[in-house]
Amino acid sequence: MLVPRLSQKSKFILSILSILISTLTLFTSPGFGGPEKPDDETILYQGQKLSVKRDPLTKAPLIIRGIESNLLEVKNFPKLSRKEITNTGIPLVSKYKSLLQIEPDQLKLKSAEKISDTWYVSYWQTFHGVILYESSLGFSIEPKGRIKSLGALLYPNVQAPVTSKVSHEEALKIGQRQIKDFKKLKCILLAESVLIYPVKKKNSIDYYRVYAFNFFPEKALHPASVVGGWAVFIDTQTGKRVLYEELLKPLGCCIPEDWVPPKLEEMKPKW
Amino acid sequence: MVSLRLLKYLSVVFAISLLIFACKEKPEKFSLPKLGTAAIDFNCQDLNGQIWSLDKVRGKVVLLRFWADWCPYCRYEMPIIEKYYRKLNKEGFMVLAVNVKQSAAVAGAFMAQMDITFPVPLDPDGKMAKRYGVYAIPTNFLIDRQGIIREILIGEVFREEKVLRDLLKGYFRLG
Repeated sequence: MLVPRLSQKSKFILSILSILISTLTLFTSPGFGGPEKPDDETILYQGQKLSVKRDPLTKAPLIIRGIESNLLEVKNFPKLSRKEITNTGIPLVSKYKSLLQIEPDQLKLKSAEKISDTWYVSYWQTFHGVILYESSLGFSIEPKGRIKSLGALLYPNVQAPVTSKVSHEEALKIGQRQIKDFKKLKCILLAESVLIYPVKKKNSIDYYRVYAFNFFPEKALHPASVVGGWAVFIDTQTGKRVLYEELLKPLGCCIPEDWVPPKLEEMKPKW
Repeated sequence: MVSLRLLKYLSVVFAISLLIFACKEKPEKFSLPKLGTAAIDFNCQDLNGQIWSLDKVRGKVVLLRFWADWCPYCRYEMPIIEKYYRKLNKEGFMVLAVNVKQSAAVAGAFMAQMDITFPVPLDPDGKMAKRYGVYAIPTNFLIDRQGIIREILIGEVFREEKVLRDLLKGYFRLG
């Protein structure tokens, strides 16, 4: 008889094992410590059935999909010019304004590209004309002008300064000082901009108005070099560093404006 | 008594596996992959919470791509890659588009905007990119069904659809 032989000792070992297994299962489960997957919800918006996935913190939509209908049908789409196509975000945001919680005039074109008969259009969100770092709203337009869904990373109710207290020159010096051996490496300022930098905290977001700098050592400019650079964000109000990050090529990153991508041949190293 | 011994044995095995599991999280030796060598194993969680590793895609032709949303080249190439992923996925073509050093929200928004359906593992601290020797974005590794790196492509290479098509012709029937 096996069962009666499982004495107190065996039962104890078994219970320890089961606790260990449950702990291990918990720690290795996909949801643990990883990206949270907010649930999609189905809503009725002005009589239209939509599937919406929201950001857990801001509650702003990350994805909106039309259920049994398109989000927007752009009239005379095949006849539109590139400029007109790049403006399709305006009627789209106007239509879903209260859901997206931004105004159409907060959009700034990020990119518009036609690939295999489909247009891909995306925008930055702006605050008083200043781009919000890593913000986006974008969608694809099918050849007949249909927009079925949109993806977004938006920040409703931005609370950020609209002017800078620290001068650009001062901020640049502070930025340069963040790079060890700045002079020795012959670092070059490759791109710069003023941005709103949202920093997500547990229950709120801090918005910094920053001077954003991309520095690269001179030798990083060589096509075959594997050396990267740095992104440094300096708070325009206090002069404090709020971001310091190592960058990969292409030569320039993170700063949406004033950056001209290097030529294709410059990108490819010689193996 | 036999069962008690068995249980003791099992608990020892379990303790050892736990130790191995704990050690796995330590940073591994840095090495740059070379053409014709085995791809380096990885463990990354994607936007849907799924864990991806080399073992999981063994037997498939894998395009392991490192990208970020700020990179314009990455943007332009994605729909072309998606087209071939949809066409050849059932025949064993897998795309793992590893987002480097960005949040799940940034990567997720980008994928939704581009109608991308292939998995997007996240590499928030850039460790995986570093282990693969990635110094430029985008970088693509084509890994064959045996897990061997057959191509390393850096920069914008798939803007011309023909490049990807020709690459995949070696592995799939493309009319």
